[in-house]
Amino acid sequence: MHYQHNRTLALFYCQNVPGAGERERIGLEKEYGQCIRFYPIACSGRLEPVHLLSALENFADAAYLITCPEGMCRYFEGNLRAIKRVMRTQDIISGIGLEKERVGIITGSKEGPKTLAELAKEIFDKVLQMEPSPVLGKGERSYDYCATEAH
Amino acid sequence: MITAQQKPIDEIRGMLVPYKRILVLGCASCVAECAAGGQKETAMLASTLRMKAKMNNEDVIIQEHTLDRQCVKDFVVTLDDIIGSYDAVLSLGCGAGVQAVAEMFSEIPVIPGLNTEFIGETRAQGLWVENCLGCGDCMLYYFGGVCPLARCSKQLFNGPCGGSVGGKCEINPDVDCAWQKIIDRLSRFGALDRLETIYPPKNWSRKQGGGPRKIIREDQQR
Ligand code: SF4
Ligand code: SF4
Repeated sequence: MHYQHNRTLALFYCQNVPGAGERERIGLEKEYGQCIRFYPIACSGRLEPVHLLSALENFADAAYLITCPEGMCRYFEGNLRAIKRVMRTQDIISGIGLEKERVGIITGSKEGPKTLAELAKEIFDKVLQMEPSPVLGKGERSYDYCATEAH
Repeated sequence: MITAQQKPIDEIRGMLVPYKRILVLGCASCVAECAAGGQKETAMLASTLRMKAKMNNEDVIIQEHTLDRQCVKDFVVTLDDIIGSYDAVLSLGCGAGVQAVAEMFSEIPVIPGLNTEFIGETRAQGLWVENCLGCGDCMLYYFGGVCPLARCSKQLFNGPCGGSVGGKCEINPDVDCAWQKIIDRLSRFGALDRLETIYPPKNWSRKQGGGPRKIIREDQQR
């Protein structure tokens, strides 16, 4: 069964998130096509606001980051720093009249860890509720729609 | 170093209204260190401005470029090849950088994107503090390396003021009392006697009393 979506999510994620290996990523890319672009990063603390802004400017209706759970960062504070950077990006976009929710962060839970696939679906479902980004004129979309079998 | 902060986005956009081809120009020195106008911040601001322009269907071209130092002519001159493509420069240099670019390219408007703040120090990640007013006659020797002009809220030369409590300034308990620090440091070096002198009021003629200052060093000139 095919569904059509014309929203794009830029999904940055810490490679420490469960189910975030190369094989899983390739599977998810097949599943979501152009709807989700996956960006693995060695540590969520490496993500800069400019990465999120650039995604929103060029192709994404929303840009999200998934970090490892608090206290589990291999580099100690990467995920805490990431929270502050995402908040800063939210302030920047709301300053130009874009909804803050177009940028977000999901911190993994130690108690009930979710896989990349589960979190990607949850975030993408949220993105589907949003209006298309006013930054992206129709003609500028890199695709008209994409079809997936899983959604 | 010189510290600065980005101006509010609406103020920046207001100044850019008449222009259609804008170069956002960063500086990779002081303002990069204080995370206001380096390459990263320049890319962020340019991206933000482009997004807003797209949202409003404005027909503008906004591009970015960063110089190693915006306040040094030898670096500014490298803009020669590209500046003709723009009708305005939005500078993320400090006030000196903005003026250096404007001085060299007098035919193009150069708009400040930052508010230049103070001469300061990076005390910790994300924390910059003012510690010098550039008075032109440094007296740090007498005050144990702590500047009462920049760091005492009342700029006292013969402090403390009597309001110092527990090492904190009476104007704000978050502010360290500069005079407590002066006394602590001079005591450590056995140099408290330097405070037996009554220091006269600052002679500000070395700052701006003679108009804009300049330094000329013939040994450095070509
Ligand atoms: S005495 Fe003058 S030059 Fe020295 S640190 Fe203070 S303001 Fe700066
Ligand atoms: S409390 Fe200390 S820093 Fe504050 S005004 Fe008095 S002497 Fe200056």
